[in-house]
Amino acid sequence: MAATTESVKADAAEAPLLNQRNLYAGLLLYLVFYSFIRWYEGVYGWSAGLDSFAPEFETYWMNMLYIELVLEVVIASALWGWLWKTRDRKVMSITPREELRRHFTHWTWLVMYGWAIYWGASYFTEQDGTWHQTIVRDTDFTPSHIIEFYLSYPIYIITGVSSFLYAKTRLPTYSEGLHLMYLVSVIGPFMILPNVGLNEWGHTFWFMEELFVAPLHYGFVFFGWAALAVMGVVNTEVMAISKLLKKDLA
Amino acid sequence: MSASQSAVRSRAEAVAVSRTFDWMILFTLFFVVLGGYHIHYMLTGGDWDFWADWKDRRLWVTVAPIVSITFPAAVQACLWWRYRLPVGATLCVLGLLLGEWINRYLNFWGWTYFPVNFCFPSNLMPGAILLDTILLLGGSMTLTAVVGGLAWGLVFYPGNWPIIAPLHVPVEYNGMMFTLADLQGYHYVRTGTPEYIRMVEKGTLRTFGKDVAPVSAFFSGFVSIIIYFLWHFFGKWFAKTDFISDDEL
Repeated sequence: MAATTESVKADAAEAPLLNQRNLYAGLLLYLVFYSFIRWYEGVYGWSAGLDSFAPEFETYWMNMLYIELVLEVVIASALWGWLWKTRDRKVMSITPREELRRHFTHWTWLVMYGWAIYWGASYFTEQDGTWHQTIVRDTDFTPSHIIEFYLSYPIYIITGVSSFLYAKTRLPTYSEGLHLMYLVSVIGPFMILPNVGLNEWGHTFWFMEELFVAPLHYGFVFFGWAALAVMGVVNTEVMAISKLLKKDLA
Repeated sequence: MSASQSAVRSRAEAVAVSRTFDWMILFTLFFVVLGGYHIHYMLTGGDWDFWADWKDRRLWVTVAPIVSITFPAAVQACLWWRYRLPVGATLCVLGLLLGEWINRYLNFWGWTYFPVNFCFPSNLMPGAILLDTILLLGGSMTLTAVVGGLAWGLVFYPGNWPIIAPLHVPVEYNGMMFTLADLQGYHYVRTGTPEYIRMVEKGTLRTFGKDVAPVSAFFSGFVSIIIYFLWHFFGKWFAKTDFISDDEL
């Protein structure tokens, strides 16, 4: 396809297909934020996080819990509300190029979801294991739980639901109904958070610190399997993107 | 062809777009699978994986392969069925090992001060390479389940032996003989200290003496075959692209 002077001017004026600045800024944001959190744990976990009846525990850990819970509710409401409020009501009439651009933005959300899942399900969850094997616990709100359950899990939930809402409200591919595996890949890991209720209820009866593989934890395992549903999302996306690029790649 | 009908301006741009998507898809798949696999593995086989004194000749050899073949089977099913890519097992295990090593170093050592030579993760790479190679050469998921599943269980202990052997040398301490790994555990007390919960080397299988590890590996391989079959179906289900229509809601 020959590029005319007019089309070159139009290319220069239009937004890039992939906004790389947003992508790298997002990845860096989580990395810097969680590095700060890890530093905070290292400093105040041992000095103020061992006895939940101590005044310093209230200062450094319970106040952190209250602040993060409020911020999470505010951010989730604002982000999800904005995504829904600004939805495209004529999504089926966008140009192929605009659709491709939106797939890139969608994938920026999915990359962020993958990154957030790593920090929540891998980094802070196994970290909780070594903390309790060392410190045991005298409250449900231990320093590791305040970060793992009530910070890193809500962050991946907020990111995952945002990704789903973006796809549903702006991409023609997802306008024909609800994508089953997308729902599973977002709601499954989300269910890990309500499962904390079962976990803490059980730990109130039994210490169970001897085994990280204790059956009480199997709820987390079951809902963790739902992460595999991202394969269904990948397959759908590959089909949609292939359809957009097929004739140009032939 | 008018510009409005095409999503890209040229073939070169189409190729560049395609490659960029490849990287974004790979990144997301890698980290989401890493997260799901890691939470599954740490809560079904984690204690055996965390500590050198749990890495015995019996339950570690039995439990770790059985619970870890799950995600490789599921991801292999999707990547092979859809894209003929025989890399599913390696992708899963690389992700799991990355997550584990970062954790063992920055948290087990960096936060709670367990030395890394006491809390290093098990090596699952030989089994993953075997699973992917058998799928590549055989082109059959049934063959991979039977031969690969058995190999996954059998190769686990030999694959870890060069790492664990120095910690299994006998030492005498306060008139008792045990392994160097046990001595590490004796000094680094945790709630999961095996002497307290008495799970390590439990049972009468030890009367077989030197045969404990091979017998356990063989049993583990047998169960791994069954788990592979089951989880490859899970993988196919999770790879579906179905929509729930508005009428069904």
